[in-house]
Amino acid sequence: MSTTEERPMPAADEPESPTNRPGSMHLVKEWLQRPYVRRILWITLAITAVIIALSFVMVAFMNQSGGPASSIMDEIEKTMFVLTIACAPLMAATLAVLTYSWWGGWGSVAAADEPTSDGPGIKTNGVAVVTWITVCSLLAGFLVVWGLVELATITSSSYGSVPANQQPNSVKPVDVNVTAQQWLWSFEYPDSGNIQSSVLVLPVNVPAYFNVTSLDVVHSFWVVEEGVKIDANPGAITNTGFTPTKLGTFNVRCAELCGLHHAYMETQVKVVTQEQFNSWIREQGGNKTS
Amino acid sequence: MSTAVAIHEEAHVPQPTQVGKPGGFLRRTNFLTALISGVVTAGVFWIVTDKITTAVAGAGATNSMALPSGLNINITMMYIGWVIGFMAGIGAFAGPIRWFLGHDLTHADAEYMAGKDMGREKFWKFTTDHKVVGIQYLVVTLILFGFGGLLAMLIRTELGATWTEVFNPNFYNSIIGTHGIVMVIAMIIVISGPIGNFIVPIMCGARDMAFPRLNALSIWLLIAAVPPLVSNLLMGGIRDGWTVYQPLADQAPIGMIGYQICIITFAFSTGIASVNLITTIVRMRAAGMTWSRTPILVYGILGSSIMGLVWFPMYQYSQILALSDRTLLTSFFVPASGGSVWLYENLFWLLGHPEVYVIVIPATAGMLEYLPVFVRKPLFSYRLAVAGIFGVVGLSAVVWVHHMYMTGWAPQSNYPFMLSTEMISIPFSFLVLVVLGTMWRGKPWKRLPMMAVYAVVWNKVIGGITGVFLSDTPVDQYMHGSMFVVAHFHYMLMGAGLFGAMGVTAYFFPKMIGRYLDEFWGSVGFWTAFAGFQVTFMSMFVAGLQGMPRRVLQFDSLFNVSNWISTIGAYIIGIGMLIFLYAIIESWRNGILAPDNPWGGKTLENFTTTPVPHENFPVLPVVTSGPYDFGTPDPYELADDAIMQQTEGAEKVSAQS
Amino acid sequence: MSDTTTNSSVARTLSATTGEPVEVTGARDKLGVWMIIVSCTTGTIALLVSYAYLWSLNVNGAWAPTPGHANWAPVWPFWVIFTVMFIATLIMWNGYRGLRNGKVGGMKSAALLSSLLLLAAFVGQIVQIATFPFGPADGGYASAALWLAIANAIWLFMAVFLATAIFNRTRAGRVTPENPSHARLVAMFLTYLCVAAFLGCVFTTVMQDSPNTNSPPFGTFSQ
Repeated sequence: MSTTEERPMPAADEPESPTNRPGSMHLVKEWLQRPYVRRILWITLAITAVIIALSFVMVAFMNQSGGPASSIMDEIEKTMFVLTIACAPLMAATLAVLTYSWWGGWGSVAAADEPTSDGPGIKTNGVAVVTWITVCSLLAGFLVVWGLVELATITSSSYGSVPANQQPNSVKPVDVNVTAQQWLWSFEYPDSGNIQSSVLVLPVNVPAYFNVTSLDVVHSFWVVEEGVKIDANPGAITNTGFTPTKLGTFNVRCAELCGLHHAYMETQVKVVTQEQFNSWIREQGGNKTS
Repeated sequence: MSTAVAIHEEAHVPQPTQVGKPGGFLRRTNFLTALISGVVTAGVFWIVTDKITTAVAGAGATNSMALPSGLNINITMMYIGWVIGFMAGIGAFAGPIRWFLGHDLTHADAEYMAGKDMGREKFWKFTTDHKVVGIQYLVVTLILFGFGGLLAMLIRTELGATWTEVFNPNFYNSIIGTHGIVMVIAMIIVISGPIGNFIVPIMCGARDMAFPRLNALSIWLLIAAVPPLVSNLLMGGIRDGWTVYQPLADQAPIGMIGYQICIITFAFSTGIASVNLITTIVRMRAAGMTWSRTPILVYGILGSSIMGLVWFPMYQYSQILALSDRTLLTSFFVPASGGSVWLYENLFWLLGHPEVYVIVIPATAGMLEYLPVFVRKPLFSYRLAVAGIFGVVGLSAVVWVHHMYMTGWAPQSNYPFMLSTEMISIPFSFLVLVVLGTMWRGKPWKRLPMMAVYAVVWNKVIGGITGVFLSDTPVDQYMHGSMFVVAHFHYMLMGAGLFGAMGVTAYFFPKMIGRYLDEFWGSVGFWTAFAGFQVTFMSMFVAGLQGMPRRVLQFDSLFNVSNWISTIGAYIIGIGMLIFLYAIIESWRNGILAPDNPWGGKTLENFTTTPVPHENFPVLPVVTSGPYDFGTPDPYELADDAIMQQTEGAEKVSAQS
Repeated sequence: MSDTTTNSSVARTLSATTGEPVEVTGARDKLGVWMIIVSCTTGTIALLVSYAYLWSLNVNGAWAPTPGHANWAPVWPFWVIFTVMFIATLIMWNGYRGLRNGKVGGMKSAALLSSLLLLAAFVGQIVQIATFPFGPADGGYASAALWLAIANAIWLFMAVFLATAIFNRTRAGRVTPENPSHARLVAMFLTYLCVAAFLGCVFTTVMQDSPNTNSPPFGTFSQ
């Protein structure tokens, strides 16, 4: 090992003839003319397209059982698109370099041989490092800002302050007390004479707010197509809420392992019209007044 | 790294009087005596505890100090007895007692304990030589992976058989928990154990670890910790997943005690190993090995050890307190009498998240270590790699709440923790750039370790993008607790961690064993497992997106197809891993003999003979150059890159202006 | 690090086990002990966080011991035990300082005295645990305070072992003015134990009645 000899560095400090130095845009152009750079860029473009296409597939899978059924789920799906599209170019660039190297774009040495010569001694590249850090930081910053805004939006939908443009404030929300126990859900409607139900019935386009607790272990109240989830903790009350925007029957599942029959701890959400909801309340013996 | 200084002979050193033959008590201890002692002590503890608790109960003690559940406390004491007896039987307590009495080891004692001139039996003893400990770790890791993998096959069998319950729910829930924790333990040690112990001291140019006896203690504590965990399946199981959330775990049968004792013991093992690795790395690097000449793997192990050391006690205490809830009837996690489930979740995840990086960082650093060797280029931007590792180590402390977005614990904290979670992707992206930059314009030597890099980066990209989804609270509101999470962390822990570890093991195999890992069967196994892995977990992403919760054994027919595909993929992984295991065993016995420098690397382990001699180096090395000084500016390249160099120079100038 | 050559080793004290100068092995041991202290600190924090967290939440109104059935632990024993530990630590440091000036006898008596004091503290801790006016099942406070005491008892047991070992080792000529590092390491660890015990005392003294007075009864929705 050789090593004291230093590699002759490119004379950065003393450009030999400043007057002839090409402009930086010109240099970028020349760099882009390099065959491998162009190939990698093409691969990047192709992979980006594939990833963006995949984001549609992902959301299609999420909607397979009938969603999105609330504005929260809409926001979640929108966020999925935005996150995927924002990350796609960087992911694609990474995979493109990977693919190019793997494919032998810069040549390769077969497994049976041993490398006879060293590659170019690129120890670092200030431009690449700075660009990469900047791009990654900007991307992460964008993701954070988008996430924070979305979180504020869905939190306001979940905790009561309804955005002005979505629901008229005159609608009286439905309060539901959700009690989880091994291994069933029970729903209580305190505004309607505390009637009990094992199926969650909600009127469409009316905000529903939930107080959630558990009688034994930790469960998680997951209304799949509405995009809402909160743990049901023993000894504590947690809150969530959503406004169903779609008529139909959706799923409530337990999303936290809660013992033997965790898999069977599921029930249904029936989103019905206000009239059907009122008559359901009356059938159950409640005193709905609306 | 050519010059060297002659080491003085120990003959000059005044020795304490040698009592008896070198090694003393340790001459008579081995794995067998440990087993016997462990079992006997366990039995004695059981009987004595049973007598005492019965006597206390019989005396009609009515105050609340009376221990109510005989069985729980008996089993707890039995396991504690096992660990103490096992460690006593292997001779672990000889050191502290000698130290207590002021009988220090003579040089001859130390040589005996390091297994000098000893045959195979040294692998069955309390041997302090780091190379022996490394091999012991490797074998234990392989056994753990075998066991955990078998459980994984059972899980997938249950999930694939959508038309029936193959196992009863109690057993199914137990195997998902046991699979989880066995694999987590195996993944924590898979690099830091074998490679960290065997290679890192040699890479640092040291004769042994800083604390050789602690090194032996850490492996034997690990071996003592495993039987209680495995035995849980015979004792009602741990039907609570690997996280064993309270108070569900409080309801579990006595098998849970095995889990808790295992974690408490394993935490000691990890803590001791971390202390040892950190001290070795900080204090025992060879002369001339400055921090800017230290190989990146050493940094990775250092970072991972720091995280393990600092955060593991949180997990340990969560299990101590949970065990106390069970046996002493305290109420840390029992809400009816003043406990909090959120307390458990916080304590658990305070380790639980750094632990992910404890797993991923060494695998990544190991990959960065050998990547330059296979492209014969310098590591791209060494400093950025170091910054990336320590950035992750630092930020890992402040992201744990992202596992608790949906628990309802302080919903306001979701905002700052979403911020910190997204931020940790920045130092991680540094490491990606280092990989890409090192590959850039290099000719890869297509051996198995190199190919593993491609596989791992692919997995890491997918794990990374899905991690971006999960770190985003709104999306996590849909994903949390679903199969999507399971697929994501398998991409990180298995895809990046385990496949990385396979590459790293393949790279260091010739140095450790003296023979190359069989290229053909190793590759066949690796790529079969990789293909199966993609099938299994891609399809699991789909199940998660469709809304399938995790840890269920029966589910909506909507998820049938994706689960069938997953199960087929899982069997392919199983076959691939078996082939890889065959490659390891076969190469261990009959592989091609490796030369001193198996791959043409420039780190210190390549400058001693293969197999590595007892004292590692005949003379201690002095480092005079960096570990990745590859790359020659040959004329052809220079001509080709004339434009490039101009570009670099010009852009530097323009950046300054 | 370990590349010392023979020519200078004549005047230096060498470790019998590895043949390296004792300053080298001492520096290594010191870093190791620091790392152990870091790890133990996390454990202490886990216990203190548990105490403070249960105190602040008062889940199901069950933090405080039930009046008539159980009671708060008296505060003074915590402080007495801490004070004894603190004195033992000071004595150990003092002995170490003397040892560096060549007073081997002083180190011997300091280690003996320190270990006896720590033993007294250990016994006191056991007595305190046995006479707590509550059982482990008496709510959040009982659990958290009990475990602070148990942890302290375990640490005191170790401290007695370490201090006695220093006494033995000084007698056997292993801890000497030329090689005093083990006495220093033990003193360092005792100092850490004092800090941990002090924090435990502060927590048990300051945090008794929970600030959360209207926690919801378990399993109901009345808030």
